Amino acid sequence: MYIDQNLCKKCLDCRPVCPMGAIYVETERVTIDYEACVECGVCQRYGICPEGAIKQVEEIPYPRVIRAVFSDPLTTHRSTGIGGRGTEEMKTNDVTNQYKRGWIGFSVELGRPGVGAYLRDLDKVLRKVKSMGVELARDNPVVPLIADPETGALRSEILNEKVLSAIVEFVIEEERALEFIRELKTFLNEELETVATVSVIVRADQQGRFPFLERLREFGEAPYPNAKINIGMALV
Amino acid sequence: MTHTLNRRGLSEDRSGQEIIVLCMVHHKEKEQKQKAMEEAACTVLRHNPDNVIGLPMGMKEKDIPALSARAGIVTAVFNDPQDVLSLVKELKAKKLGISVVLSGLFGDVRKICARSGLTEHTANISLGIFGRTERLPEEPILEITTQCGHALVSPHLVKHIVRQILKGKMTPEEGARKLVKPCVCGIVNPQRTERILERLAKKKG
Repeated sequence: MYIDQNLCKKCLDCRPVCPMGAIYVETERVTIDYEACVECGVCQRYGICPEGAIKQVEEIPYPRVIRAVFSDPLTTHRSTGIGGRGTEEMKTNDVTNQYKRGWIGFSVELGRPGVGAYLRDLDKVLRKVKSMGVELARDNPVVPLIADPETGALRSEILNEKVLSAIVEFVIEEERALEFIRELKTFLNEELETVATVSVIVRADQQGRFPFLERLREFGEAPYPNAKINIGMALV
Repeated sequence: MTHTLNRRGLSEDRSGQEIIVLCMVHHKEKEQKQKAMEEAACTVLRHNPDNVIGLPMGMKEKDIPALSARAGIVTAVFNDPQDVLSLVKELKAKKLGISVVLSGLFGDVRKICARSGLTEHTANISLGIFGRTERLPEEPILEITTQCGHALVSPHLVKHIVRQILKGKMTPEEGARKLVKPCVCGIVNPQRTERILERLAKKKG
C-alpha cells in the first residue's frame, strides 16, 4: 500500500483505520511505514479517503506478497483454494472426519489479536513443534513456505516479512496433549516477539459432550467458555 | 470465522448472548453444492441476523446468496438464540448436506442442539493468548477487536471512535457501524460493539 502524495489532503482520517498503526506523518507528508504495513488492504477497502489517495501497487513483489496472502482475507491462497490464512479445520469435520476421537487438533495462531507477527517467529514455532514430533496439517498455507520438512525451517528470504497472522496446525494423540500444551505454552511465553492464540480441536463423544474440557481444567488450563462447535448438520 | 472462538468478554453467567453461525461446504464440493449454499444463505437471511458476510463491504442482501454459492460459505451474527434455533431447525429440515458451525457459549449451543435434535460433533476451544501479552490493548478494546477473526478491526480506530463519542461528535451506535465495516465476514456484532463503546466512553469520560 502507498499514499499518492499528489492526491492526499493530509486530513489524517485514514490514520486510525490501519490495524498495524502503520500510517504516520513524516515531514508534513502522510505516509505508510513500509516495514509495519502487512498489506491487509483495510485502509483502501474501508473507503476512508475521499480523494482515493490510498493505493496498491499493480503487483506486490515476492517475498513481500506473502504479507498480503496472510493478512488480506480476500486473497485466496493458491495451495489451498481457501481464502484466509488457515484450513477448513473442524468447520467441515462432519464431512471429512479429519479430527477423530482419541486425537486432539491444535492451532497456534501467531500475531493475533492485533499485534502482527514476523515470519521468523513462525519459523521458531514450526521448528519447535517439529522437534516435538508432530506432523503438520498439509493443506495449511504455511506448509508450502517450509524449506526443510524435517526441521520445519522456513525459506530464509521470507523470515523478515510481517503478517497479521499465520497459523500452525497439527494433530497429536490425546494422551500426549496435556503435557504437550504445557511445553508449548512455556516455549511461546519465553521465545516469541509477538502474541499467539492456542486452540484445541476436540471430537465430541456419542452424547455430544467434550470430556477433554474437564481434563483441561483439571490440568490447570482455563479454556474459554465460548467455542466454535460443528453441530453435525452435514450428517442429517 | 476461524477465530471467533477467541472472542473475549463472554461468560456462562450471561447466557443467551450472541451466536455466530457459519454454513460451509468442503472446498472440494464447492461446485456441486452451489444450490445448497444459495439456499442456506437465503435461510440465514430470513432469521433476523444482525450482521452478515458481505454487508460491511456494501453488498445488498439480495446479492449475498449468489456470493455464498460462489464462495461456499455464509457467516452471520445473531443476538437472539431463538432466531438461531429456528434457523437450525429449518436448515435441518432442508437436508442440504452442508456443515454448520455455531460459535458461542457451550451452554447456549447445547440448548440449541438439544431443541433441534442435533448433537455436537466437534469443538474448537481456545486456551488463551500467550507470548508478549503486554503488547495487547486493554481488555474492552480486545472485546471489540477480537470480534473480527481476521484482526482487521484496528484498536487505534476503537480509541479514535471513543474520543469522538466523548467529544459529542458521534453516538455509540454510529461508532459501532464504523467498527463493523472492516470485518468482511460480517461477524462483528453491532449491538454488542455499541454496548462496549458506551462502557469505554463512560470509563474514559
